[in-house]
Amino acid sequence: MLHIANKSFSSRLLLGSGKFANPNLMQQAIQASGCQLITLALKRLQLEQPQDDLLSPLREMNIQLLPNTSGAKTAKEAIFAAQLAHEALQTNWLKLEIHPDPRYLMPDPIETLLAAEQLVKLGFVVLPYCSADPVLCKRLEQAGCAAVMPLGAAIGSNQGLQTRAMLEIIIEQAKVPVIIDAGLGAPSHAAAAMELGAAAVLVNTAIAASYDPVAMAGAFAQAVSAGRMAYNAGLSAAQSHAASSSPLTDFLAAL
Amino acid sequence: MRIMLNDTPIQLATNCTVAELVQQQQLKTEGLAVAINNVVIAKQHWSKHQLQNNAQVQLFQIVTGG
Repeated sequence: MLHIANKSFSSRLLLGSGKFANPNLMQQAIQASGCQLITLALKRLQLEQPQDDLLSPLREMNIQLLPNTSGAKTAKEAIFAAQLAHEALQTNWLKLEIHPDPRYLMPDPIETLLAAEQLVKLGFVVLPYCSADPVLCKRLEQAGCAAVMPLGAAIGSNQGLQTRAMLEIIIEQAKVPVIIDAGLGAPSHAAAAMELGAAAVLVNTAIAASYDPVAMAGAFAQAVSAGRMAYNAGLSAAQSHAASSSPLTDFLAAL
Repeated sequence: MRIMLNDTPIQLATNCTVAELVQQQQLKTEGLAVAINNVVIAKQHWSKHQLQNNAQVQLFQIVTGG
């Protein structure tokens, strides 16, 4: 079980709800993924456009909703977004993300830590999206964050675990769940993250923008389970030379 | 009186509350958040909170996103 704050989840695959071609496809992908925690975003209401009924199906599926602060460029904006999200969804769970630069969407570590400290004091369950920086992750944990969400690679880049060496240190040191967020482009990337000992992974683009998001959601679910099983089983160590797993040609020596 | 609703000017009767504005605009309240002059108004205060002339009202809604 994955434990975050006061809740437990049997699935270690978290989904982002963006980029799906339509809400029906998103719902089917959620079901295929078995996910129990999904991120959502906030935007200014377009008065002339009808409001989608995005939330009723999610409520029916009994999924923990995790609003994000995407769009915030500073701690102050993120706190404002967090308060709006709290009112919109009546949840104190929050994915804190502050990325001022639209080209790489790299999280601003200083503003993220400042916001996290204040949001924890305001009673939010804070899950910060952050750089794969072991010192920063420790500071976020000390600030009272319920988990840390270091990036594997840039958001939506599908490049996999570019930050692998740093993630290993983060996972080794963390006392809160480490959720690898961003950049996981294939089920094999998710499995690798879980084999490292990540508590969970968060996937959006790789599923939503695939040719068949429902099938891909199922593939990620299996990869996450397999990776976790492998981590629990304890991986056999890598070595630089061959080590025979059969008696080889000894029986030919008589010839 | 006149308020700005997401940067669009609209005319309202005096003593209009946030709840009445939301109803008038025929908005679903779930997934909706309201800020007035950059201060978030808690849902339980919508029915009591009266709008002032020239108030800058911002409406936000939950959408999909990672």
